[in-house]
Amino acid sequence: MFWRLVFQLLRGSRGRLGVAILAIVSGAAVISALLNLDLGVQNKLTQEFRTLGANIVISPASGAPSQISGAEVPSLMPEHDVLEALQQLPSAQVSAAAPYLYIVARAQNIRVVVAGTWLDQLRKLDAAWKLEGNWVASHNDQSQCLVGRNVARRLHLAVGSPLELHYIDRSAQCSIAGIVDAGGTEDNQIFASLRAVQALANLPGQIGVAQLSVTGTTQVIADYTARLTAALPQYQVRPIRQVAEAEGALLGRIRLLIVSMVLLILILTALCVLGTMAALAMERRKDVGLMKSLGGSISRIVGLFLAEVGVLGAVGGLLGTILGAALAYWMGLRVFGTAISPRWEVFPATIALMIVVTLAGALPLRMLGNVKPAEILRGE
Amino acid sequence: MATLVQVENLRKEFGNVRALDGVSFRVDAGEWIAIMGPSGSGKTTLINILGGLDTPTAGQAIVDGTDVARLDEAGLTRFRAEKIGFIFQQFHLVPYLTAVENVMLAQYFHSTTDEKEAQQALERVGLGDRIEHLPSQLSGGEQQRVAVARALINHPKLILADEPTGNLDEANEEIVLSLLRELHAEGHTILMVTHAPSIGRLADRRIEFAHGHLVQAAAASLKPELA
Repeated sequence: MFWRLVFQLLRGSRGRLGVAILAIVSGAAVISALLNLDLGVQNKLTQEFRTLGANIVISPASGAPSQISGAEVPSLMPEHDVLEALQQLPSAQVSAAAPYLYIVARAQNIRVVVAGTWLDQLRKLDAAWKLEGNWVASHNDQSQCLVGRNVARRLHLAVGSPLELHYIDRSAQCSIAGIVDAGGTEDNQIFASLRAVQALANLPGQIGVAQLSVTGTTQVIADYTARLTAALPQYQVRPIRQVAEAEGALLGRIRLLIVSMVLLILILTALCVLGTMAALAMERRKDVGLMKSLGGSISRIVGLFLAEVGVLGAVGGLLGTILGAALAYWMGLRVFGTAISPRWEVFPATIALMIVVTLAGALPLRMLGNVKPAEILRGE
Repeated sequence: MATLVQVENLRKEFGNVRALDGVSFRVDAGEWIAIMGPSGSGKTTLINILGGLDTPTAGQAIVDGTDVARLDEAGLTRFRAEKIGFIFQQFHLVPYLTAVENVMLAQYFHSTTDEKEAQQALERVGLGDRIEHLPSQLSGGEQQRVAVARALINHPKLILADEPTGNLDEANEEIVLSLLRELHAEGHTILMVTHAPSIGRLADRRIEFAHGHLVQAAAASLKPELA
């Protein structure tokens, strides 16, 4: 009978409760969207950090570009300078390291970025990459290469396909060992042996950057960076973690903004429910007077109304959460350019928040405890 | 017959107004009493005190051995649920509950609900075909019969009817009065407030009020204890 009464109470006041549920659904939708965005963006950034892999980059100091065969290319640095410096420093902290030489070559008459590197280091440096096929086991293996998935699609390449690269009047061949799905710009690149690319570009012993993955705390990385900078004063040694920390600080500020907005929306929703419930409590005085005259205790009567309000909060919260997940998905695509998938933990959190807020908004129902049945039944 | 209701020197004041002033009388179990008098004479106040809806300023109002004046809020709630069946002039049905749910509401606050029993109570008052109707879909007479079924559902010791036919036309008035006659014949104790002498004459006894005083008692069995 309890739930039958609750259902009839909901049905009986559907007009006024409709206003309350609209407020709850709207509040829950915005809160759910914000929470999904918060968690989703954080997740995306975390993924970005993980795929970034390397956390120290060594590059030539910014200066005049080099001239190669009359063409202007970014500054380069001798490979052996970097390797010597690395050998002087403790190697235990370096989990992976690879030099890179980037050129724009032609494959099937299409311009494509080719990264010459130590192919065997890619697996450690970019652990989050998905690979179809096989990694290359040796960095001296010039017969194999990896291609990004976009390049593979555009050039109709599959694992095992032969690939011919052309650069000015030179060419090189390799066989596709694997197709990389990195979720970034690497999907548009070809990864070949450093030696092969240096030969193709006629830049023996030259590299554009070197990437290192150093394990340890921020302090360890900072110390290593300082020592590397001291060993390579002519080059730029840049810890990527600083960028990550800046991103983290930005994320913290975004989170603070979102939490503030969630609190504000919760308060506004509670106020809206409060107004509706105050009006409802006035309407229900006669019913409460009658129920009391029939022997209903105030705890049982208010229990009915609180259950009604709880159902309202739960249903409104659920509808709002679903709506909010869709809103977050849409906002993710439109604003951040990435799909934000609904997070399951947002559902119970939002629904629980809406139930609590709705119950808080139902405080005016407390005044029903003061209803005097004799006065109500007299029509006062 | 055993005394079911004993009122001793009952007084009720609303500010400076004395609604009841030293009222005393007794009612035996199974009696049908008509309480009569002009508006503002204290009839409804008396019914409200006997039904545990209001508390007296002084005096005793003992119903089935319980002094209503001594009960706290929780005690009054249980008292109303277990011992009293109310029939109001304005029916006072919950508008968003069906006829059977209005009857079951009284069961719910008393103990447990039994829909079949509630349906039988409605059939008894001639509303077997109106069980799922809302009050707005029922005539005034039908609504009052739902109120009678609700008053009876918990087998109360005392039925308190405040102008039960005051809002009804002649035909519906007769239906409700015949129901009260049936209840009386079955041994229920009824205290009924009415303005109409013709209805008052149906009762075993009549108690007349004026300005909060019991001024006249009629019928052979009357046992007034005038203050």
